[in-house]
This record gives sequence, C-alpha cells and structure tokens, in this order.
Amino acid sequence: MISYVMRKVLYTLLVLVGVVLVTFFIRPPGDPARVLLGQRADSASVAALREQLGLDKPLYHQVGTYMLNLTKGDLGRSIASQRPVSETIMERLPATALLAITSITIATVLGIFIGVIAAWRPNTWVDSTMMSVSLLGISLPAFVVGLLMVLLFGVVLEWFPISGYVDKGPEYLVLPMITLAIRPLAIIARVTRSSMLEVLGQDYVRTARAKGLSTQAVFLKHALRNALNPVVTTVSAWFAGLLAGTYFIEFIFNWPGIGLAAFNAIEKLDYPMIQGTVLFTAIIFVGVNTIADILYGYIDPKVRVS
Amino acid sequence: MSNYQAESPTHLAWKRLKKNKGAVVAMVVLLTMIVAAIAAPLITPFDPTTQVLEYSVKPAGFRGLIIYKINPSAPEVPSILAVRDYKLQGDSVHYHDPAGEAYVIARSALHGTTDSDFVGYPTFWLGTDRFGRDIFTRLIYGMRVSLSVGLISESIALLIGVVLGAIAGYYRGRVDDGIMWLVNVVWSFPTILLVVAFSVLLGKGYWQTFVAIGISSWVDIARIVRGQFFTIREQEYIEATRALGFGTFRTMFRHMLLNAIGPIIVLSSAGFATAIIAEASLSFIGLGVQPPTPSWGQMIKDGYGYIALGTNWGMTLFPSIAMALGVLVLNVFGDGLRDAFDPKTSQR
Repeated sequence: MISYVMRKVLYTLLVLVGVVLVTFFIRPPGDPARVLLGQRADSASVAALREQLGLDKPLYHQVGTYMLNLTKGDLGRSIASQRPVSETIMERLPATALLAITSITIATVLGIFIGVIAAWRPNTWVDSTMMSVSLLGISLPAFVVGLLMVLLFGVVLEWFPISGYVDKGPEYLVLPMITLAIRPLAIIARVTRSSMLEVLGQDYVRTARAKGLSTQAVFLKHALRNALNPVVTTVSAWFAGLLAGTYFIEFIFNWPGIGLAAFNAIEKLDYPMIQGTVLFTAIIFVGVNTIADILYGYIDPKVRVS
Repeated sequence: MSNYQAESPTHLAWKRLKKNKGAVVAMVVLLTMIVAAIAAPLITPFDPTTQVLEYSVKPAGFRGLIIYKINPSAPEVPSILAVRDYKLQGDSVHYHDPAGEAYVIARSALHGTTDSDFVGYPTFWLGTDRFGRDIFTRLIYGMRVSLSVGLISESIALLIGVVLGAIAGYYRGRVDDGIMWLVNVVWSFPTILLVVAFSVLLGKGYWQTFVAIGISSWVDIARIVRGQFFTIREQEYIEATRALGFGTFRTMFRHMLLNAIGPIIVLSSAGFATAIIAEASLSFIGLGVQPPTPSWGQMIKDGYGYIALGTNWGMTLFPSIAMALGVLVLNVFGDGLRDAFDPKTSQR
C-alpha cells in the first residue's frame, strides 16, 4: 500500500511539472509587453515592462525562474493591480469553495436520490421524465443555465437576488449554487441509474430478494452500496470540473471568487493572474483525482497492482 | 450455396440506430440544422451584419417599413433605412424616418430598378438586437459558426487523439509512458479552462478558436484508441498481418483502426457537442469568434445586459434555446450511436 501511494504521488509530481510548463506558456501572442501596452506605446516603456516581467531574459531562464518561484508559493504579480497573484487567490478562495462545496453536495444527494427513483421503476413515465430532464441538464452549458435562472427566478418571479455575495444574506447563494449544481446533478443521476440497473441484475440481489427481504432493504442495503462506486468516481471527477464551471457562474452572478478574478484578468490580458488561477484550478483538480485514486487503492486491492 | 451475406459491425449498428426513435428524430433535426446553415441566404432575406439602428431591440414578430439603399462599399449587401412612410416623386424618394424627420434621396441611390424594388415590410420573426439586426438571421448564420467549430475542432482533436492513442497502444513501453504523461498533463486542466488558455495564447479569431478547442479536446479520444489498440494488438488477425509482412503503418491505420472505429465515432459525436459549448463559452467571455461574425455565445452575451432590465429577453432566450437544441440532439444522437455500436451498454 505504501509503495502504491508513493508511486501515485511521484507520478502526480511528474504530471504537475508538465502542468506548470503548459501554464507558463499562457501569455498573449508575440511580445506580451507590446500587446499589453498597445501599438502606440513608446519603445522605452515597452522595454521597461518587458524587464519588469522578466521577458528580456532567455526562455529557459524564464521557465526556471517561474518554477523556482512556484516552489516558494510565488505566482507572480498581477499586471493590473500589482498585487501578488497568490494573495488575490487566497482572498477569493472562500467564496469559490463555498459555492463549489454546497453545489456538489446538493448535486450528489439529489442526483443519487433521482437515480435510485428512476432505477426503481425503469422504463416508466417517472424514469423517462427524469432521464429526459437530466439530458436537458447535460445539454445546457453552465452560463446558459445561469442566464435562464436569472431570467426566471430573478426577473420574472423575483424570488432571489441575481447579483452579489452572501455577506448581504444567504439568499444570494441560492441561484449560483443551483446553476452550478445542475450539470453534475444530471450526470450523477444518470450514472446512479445505470449503475443501479446493472447491480439489480446481479445474482446476489436476486438472492436477497429470494430470501424475502423487502424491496426497500434490497435497494438500499444491497444494491445501492454496490452501485455507488462509479458514482464516487463521477463525483470526484465533477468536483474538479465544477471549479471550471465557477468561472462562468461567478461572472454571471457577480460572485467575488477566483473565477471572477480570472474573468477580469482575461479581459485585460493580465496574464500572470490568468496563469495563477488556471494553475491553481489544475492543481486542485490533480489533487482531488490523486486522492480519489489512492482511496480506490485502499478500498479495492486490485487497483494497487495494475 | 446460401445467399447469406456477412454484415459488417458498422452496418449492423446502422440497422440498430434506425430502430431508435429518439436517435432518428435527433438525426433529422441535425440534418435540418446543417441544411439551414448551408442555405442560410435562401432562408432569410436579411444580411446578418446589416444594422437598422432605428429598429433596435424590437420584440419577436415586429414588422417595420424599410427601404434598401445601395451600399457603395459592398454592392451585393444593401444598407437598410427604417422609414415611417415614403413617396416616389420623379427621380427622388421623399421619406420620413421613424422619428418624423423628412428626407429626400435620389432614386438612383436606392436598390433595384422598378418602383417597388427598394421598399420592404419584413417581419423580424424573433425580433432585433441592439443594432437592429434580425435575430433569426443571426441565429441561422451563427449556426454556421457552431457547426463548423464542431466539425473542424473535432477533426483536429480526432487527428491528434487517434495518432497518439494508436502509437501509445501499439508500441507500449516507454513510448506509451511518454504519451500517457502528456495525456495526463492535458487531462489535469478542465477542458474549458484549457480552451481559454490556448485562446489567450493564440489570440482572438475564427481559426484560432477552432485550433484552441481542437488541441484541448483530444485526450478522451487518445485514451479510448490506446485502450482499443491494447486489446486489438493481441488478436490473431493482427498476427496474420505481421505474418503477411504488412508494414506497421498499414497494420495500425488500416487494420487496427478500422476495428476500433465504433467507440471513436461515439466519442466524436459527444466531442462535437462539447466543441459547440466551448465556442459559445469563449464568445461569451469575449474571446473566440469576433464581431461582426454572428455566433450564439456572442448573441447571448449581447442580450445578457437586457435581462436585468427586464426588456427583450428574446435576445438571450432564442440563442440559448438554439444552442440547447443543437447540443441536445447531438447528445441524443450520440447516445443512440453508443447503443447501436455496443448493444450491451444499452439502457434497458
């Protein structure tokens, strides 16, 4: 087990080196200093900015410095605000984390519930309605769902506020949270349903039924527990995907998280900020997946040797 | 001799697909969309970029009197003037604009030759946007962008994914390790973030967008192809190709690839939908296809500001519906394909 964990961690570090390399090259095309200052800027100020950003050094030197700084937790300075990128990210992390964690919780609980109900009565109207609605949920990009939410619940029905953070009241969380939860909810519901249907066809479920257990006991004790494995994979994969979703949701609902910071940075081509937020998201993504992998190895010994 | 004819897996899949009602409906909608996108100028009388500022932000079903003026810089696309009324007197046309101001313009500066050629009283079926451009027209033309993004980006992704996946699955060992490292690196970024990152790197524009989406979305394909090649390589007919002295290239891309085609097709249709969403997301944040080329994401963004005002929701709603419909039929069709190619996974 220990060697399995070591292997996993070492490989993850190797992947992270690649991730950092990709991130390093996220910068405006051509001469970033020229792009940032515009065509009319004089060459002296372009040269000054180039020096400030370290762009006057050879490429390998820039990559080296970038990596060295990263090991110290230094993500560079924002061009727009001149503040350290890591400071902005840490400041905004709670808002994003609140949104992501509440959303994935709702998506998991409701998704499993809907999936089990659909599997309970497969191919009935309950099942087909739920699955059609979930297909719609998968088909809509997050920002479209967000706009439709704003339109329906914010403007037409006026139930919830459409822009702002929870410091003004918990009702500000409702719309962004639901918007972010819809896609993973739809997917978790579908995965739960098909996984349940597969498990329900197994011999041990028939045995459980044959020995006279109630349908409820068969479903919840025998089938669901075994059906949850692929669901856990989906949840962990989607938690990471959710972080990317927050970029758009935060923009639409004016939610002061990391995504909104990235968004503003993209508009200004403030590339150290873009690099920082993308790298941060990727590291969380990789971290969550590695932990999930290690947990699998713990639960299922077969995984360890493969 | 019996007249039994062997059927290829692809042919069998096609027969199963035809029996799936949802998939057939999706396919019909999809074909309609493709035809509409290609035949856009025949479907709508407007040009997607012509502005009629007097008729901006009008609701669905609005009708307005217009006269067509010759545009010296682009003779084939006339400019449009919104008018309240008009009168032809000799060589000139007298008209009032919607605000009531009187104007005179030479007949020769207007479109067409007969008396009625230069006027129109068209219906703006889905209303107009903030520049007075017809939303329906822009939706149809926007579909061109969406469909070509799907097609071109997915082709790029397929090319990279199939080649890398095939090499990794065939050669294994160190080569496989290297390619899988790259796959895992790309895999570490949520796709949409990677697309955004590449867009920053490549700059804004039509082709840049296609490439950014293509090079961000090949990992799924590479993984599947690699997995398929792992098993296919052990099959006897591959040993036979070696015994026959076929080259590696021929074995890989003619014999092995054709036997892995099912899952690749299924993934491609899913990738098509993802590419459409990615383009719309990019346009929504101002990267991606640039104005005045109409794109659904851009239209949604343009209308976004009007939602909070509570006026003219159509500007956001119609492109959203169009995109949801497009992605939905692609997903239904993709599900149908998956069931057709692999009846085992079909949901009971």
